[in-house]
Amino acid sequence: MSLLATSGLTKHFGGVAAVESMALSMEEGEILGLIGPNGSGKTTALNMLSGFLAPDAGRVWLAGEEVTGMKPVALARRGLLRMFQMTRVFARISAFDNLITAGLARGLSEKETQSRAQALMEELTLTPVQYLDAGQLSGGQRKLLEFGMCFIAPPRLALLDEPFAAVHPVMRETMAGFIRRRNAEGHAFLVVSHDMPIVVDLCARTACMNAGRLIAAGPTREVLKDPAVIEAYLGSGSHA
Amino acid sequence: MRDARNLWSRRLATDFRAALAIVAALAAVPLFVSSPYWLGILIVSIYFALLALGWNLLAGFTGQFSLAPAAFAMLGAYATALLDYHWKVALAIGIPAAIAGTALLGWILGRIVLRLKGPYLALTTLSFAEIARVVVGNSHEFTRGDQGLNVPALMQSRVGYYYLFLAVLLAVLCALHVLMRGRAGRFWLAIRDDETGAESRGIDVVRFKTLAFALSCAICGLAGSLYGTFSQLVSPELGLLLQTGLVISMVVIGGMGTLAGPIVGALLVYLSSEWLRGVGNIQLIVFSLVVIVFARFFRTGLWGLATGRR
Repeated sequence: MSLLATSGLTKHFGGVAAVESMALSMEEGEILGLIGPNGSGKTTALNMLSGFLAPDAGRVWLAGEEVTGMKPVALARRGLLRMFQMTRVFARISAFDNLITAGLARGLSEKETQSRAQALMEELTLTPVQYLDAGQLSGGQRKLLEFGMCFIAPPRLALLDEPFAAVHPVMRETMAGFIRRRNAEGHAFLVVSHDMPIVVDLCARTACMNAGRLIAAGPTREVLKDPAVIEAYLGSGSHA
Repeated sequence: MRDARNLWSRRLATDFRAALAIVAALAAVPLFVSSPYWLGILIVSIYFALLALGWNLLAGFTGQFSLAPAAFAMLGAYATALLDYHWKVALAIGIPAAIAGTALLGWILGRIVLRLKGPYLALTTLSFAEIARVVVGNSHEFTRGDQGLNVPALMQSRVGYYYLFLAVLLAVLCALHVLMRGRAGRFWLAIRDDETGAESRGIDVVRFKTLAFALSCAICGLAGSLYGTFSQLVSPELGLLLQTGLVISMVVIGGMGTLAGPIVGALLVYLSSEWLRGVGNIQLIVFSLVVIVFARFFRTGLWGLATGRR
């Protein structure tokens, strides 16, 4: 049984097919890459998978249970959490309090949340800024904080939208290391990224979208050699 | 602020202690002030402090900018007055009924405006407030319209009323402190800062927003109901937008998103308004200017200035 599966997932905005008949599946403990040029429908797909957008057609299953059209809060209870391209932290409370809030939202006790938050702050190298309001953190620190908020109570599946975009290389490595460690513990990730070296490094399998359609899926290195993928990124004639 | 004092639980504890100190200072006032006039002014100040705390729960802690606190005070006052006038229901039942009724109305309003934000939310709540006031003012047969309704007093002693209002203020303060210290308080802050972010973390935004609406309106309804028994007359004027304007200026000047700020703001604004009465009808001009200055330069209000949070 797949951890996540979709069939015929479709979303149109007016006359534009943002996502068309998407059939995707991923297994427990897998890191799946989702790549594609800008405007290819990756974020729309993620919005539908995480409940922020209702699909026009198609179905979604999480660990065998149909979750099509479920709200984000219901999906979070089932262990599907999402990180945004533009970070969504709680700006006017401290970074540490952000983790406490996330832990309580996932049903942890205050005591349990406190100890997990402390450990996560250290792992994510955020201890020096843990008492600053989250709004005062740098973009990279906010992304790290979002990792912490996602993993204060580890999800079954984390959907990451461009986690490495506009982040300092040192922080990028901190994030990649965090993903590797959690994956070794059995947690699954769906990573949307334009950063090919990191996609190659992290993701055993990758799917590629273009103009709302899934054009390739399989082992990452094979997908990156696929003429349709090269054409989608570089334009027609580039693989000749 | 870079140390552990910036943790929400510590900030809230400091804030709560300051609010308790203000209530304690207010408790000593009748030892020095015996004038019924000034005690009356202080009672009305505490009434506004209750409205300010109610509005602050919604706007300051949850980020939902409603323009209906005075309307809910009016509805609370009318609920008690109408129960007495038409059905001779005792105040002991009329006041809790006002709280429950305004909480229910607040919950319904919360559900209606759930997806609205910023100016759209403000305008919808303003429309509700004005509709409520006009309906009350025009339902002559049921509410006696602009003539108002008489309400029996709970007691004759002005000092007694003063301590009753103070006790209610203390109870509301303690209840808010307990709520803000727990899950609900943290979730409200999260909704205030980023509703989508809160939803993505697994917070039931719909449930906690409507809860904030219901509680905020219940506090305003309770304040209005008590005020009605104190003034022994309720009229649609209680729900004037001008009253809501005063409440907003009290919270902005005192400090939004705090417990002590709205109380300080209510005392300061209402007492100054009384002093300014002698100078002429310029109170609103003065308060509007002060609110502009605070909103532009001191967004955390007097409480922020006192604690160094900008």
